[in-house]
Amino acid sequence: MTVKKIVNIPLNRVEGDLEISVEIEDGVATEARCSGTMYRGFEKILLGRGALDGLVITPRICGICNTGHLTTASLALDVIANVTPPPDATRIRNIALMTEMIQSDMRHGFLMFTADFVNPAYEKLELYDEAVQRFEPLKGQALFEVIRETKKILEIVAILGGQWPHSSYMVPGGIVSLPNQSDLVKCRLLLEQYQSWYEQRILGCSLDRWLEVKSGKDLELWLEENDSHRQSHLGFFIRYARLIGLDKIGKGCGNYISFGAFDLPDGTSLNVKKGQTRFVPSGFASSEGVDEFDQGKITEHVEYSWFEGDKTDLHPARGETKPYASGYEGKKYSWAKAPRYDGRPAETGPLAEMIIGKNPLFTDLLKTNGSSVFSRELARLVRPAQLIPAMNIWLSETVADGKFYNPPGEIINGEGFGLTQVTRGALGHWVRIENRKIAHYQIISPTTWNLSPRDADGIRGPGEEALIGTEISDIANPVKLGHIVRSFDACLVCTVHAIDKRTKRMGRIA
Amino acid sequence: MRRIICVGNRYLPEDANAFRVYENLLTRELPPGIEVIDGGLAGLNLLGLIEGAEKVVFVDTVLGTGTDEGISVMESDEVAVLADQRFDHSSGLPYLLHMMPEVCQGVLPQVIILGVEGVPDQQTIEKASSLALKIVMENITGEEDFDD
Repeated sequence: MTVKKIVNIPLNRVEGDLEISVEIEDGVATEARCSGTMYRGFEKILLGRGALDGLVITPRICGICNTGHLTTASLALDVIANVTPPPDATRIRNIALMTEMIQSDMRHGFLMFTADFVNPAYEKLELYDEAVQRFEPLKGQALFEVIRETKKILEIVAILGGQWPHSSYMVPGGIVSLPNQSDLVKCRLLLEQYQSWYEQRILGCSLDRWLEVKSGKDLELWLEENDSHRQSHLGFFIRYARLIGLDKIGKGCGNYISFGAFDLPDGTSLNVKKGQTRFVPSGFASSEGVDEFDQGKITEHVEYSWFEGDKTDLHPARGETKPYASGYEGKKYSWAKAPRYDGRPAETGPLAEMIIGKNPLFTDLLKTNGSSVFSRELARLVRPAQLIPAMNIWLSETVADGKFYNPPGEIINGEGFGLTQVTRGALGHWVRIENRKIAHYQIISPTTWNLSPRDADGIRGPGEEALIGTEISDIANPVKLGHIVRSFDACLVCTVHAIDKRTKRMGRIA
Repeated sequence: MRRIICVGNRYLPEDANAFRVYENLLTRELPPGIEVIDGGLAGLNLLGLIEGAEKVVFVDTVLGTGTDEGISVMESDEVAVLADQRFDHSSGLPYLLHMMPEVCQGVLPQVIILGVEGVPDQQTIEKASSLALKIVMENITGEEDFDD
């Protein structure tokens, strides 16, 4: 047997690549293009397959967000089959998706985003050495902690799904795993341990104390209240982020979208605002306020995307996926389509959820300072403080060996959609079944909203817009561009190139 | 429990070697105490499958090993040193193996990586599958001479 060292293991195996090109003029970003560089084609793969195959195939779109896709595929089939899952099935679905979110929020925050805190551009800062100690890639203390704890919390999905990896227990009508009392006790214990770690190490305070922070002023008072707050990873994030000016960059397009998430099960004791049917509300927010969400207003544009079609702005229920890379050199630049709501680009993710849900802290931060890399990332780091209490309530309400499934009958023909918020924002599956087969499947993922190319009117996507106007002091190390792109938590392998007007390619953040 | 964990993307032929090994192993009668897992794209989430295992063989697609038969065997340390500085959604086995000693609980099992080069023919997949089984069975009392 020959034993040799490998020189390369293939990367980019999750969802494809993303490249961002930025033009810089006199030290300022003047143009930006977000380019998905890989055609995925899941919409094509699914055509002609069995009505339920989306439950198995779509979770494999992404190794990170598989519960999100499984949930969305199930919701779409619930609609098509005209079946409502029993309340305990809804609870289990919600808890599993929330588990994926509270895991991913911490991994993005401390494995990906704060890696830029130790960029050489900051090495003269007073807090730099501490940043290195906490966040240095492959070595930082926070990295080990986060991986250790997020590894454990995922066991909840394995227990509730009865199988892991590739759990496919969510089906139209509910779930097919049957968690018993012992399973639920284990889940409660795992969540209790995670909450304890999150409170002690991330927040430096209890969930209840954090949820008392309702304004920018409260945030200042919280930060200065004691060493536990200041020295927590969140406290350090706030201090360092301000030091390097993350509250002043990456404003975005000013529109926000949430599909809403977590249907409220009948009989739940969870308190929500009157009239709210989901724990995380849906909506579209702009400078004019928060509007009611209507999925009929969503369109996908392909004017600047490598697709062809008679129309460039179709609703996803009628959307087409016809890849076409030739003949448009210089205009089309992405394999991602450009989703728009009522013709407008919109940012999605934790910050959008906070704004549309009228969270007082983020409403105040937006009012006083506008959106920024800081507010976007802060929303992600504190979202678990909102989700964990709901998870606790639903875990305690679930009846062991209870009813988890309402048979939907055979799905022969029908059309429907599943919409929810997942880790990175709004995810939608639009599905049509004809003669027991999938006749149409369109997926819009959160990163497609956030890092979309231009639309038919030439309007930039939210990520592109957020980059414009950024001052770049060192074109060989454009670290601010990296902060901005990463604040959208792109579910793509991301590289950023900075190109000056004379087409001289200079910096790269990988 | 001893585990063979096959990682990669079943929908990308150039990254589906381990999935082909997984499918091949499913057609065989496995000795007791051996588990074969389709690890897919689970990345760091596979760490939980290392804990408590007696031995783990990861099967993955590799490039550039230069072996004539297209199959290579590596120790965990050899692959861990290849970890990229930055974690991202495509961080694969090198990152996982680098972090493993710091984040896994209990006694770490021996971890071996079996790499399958390029887009191989079915005969190579058969060989790789047999080799994965042989390696995972090694050092089990009475099973040293196991072969298919």
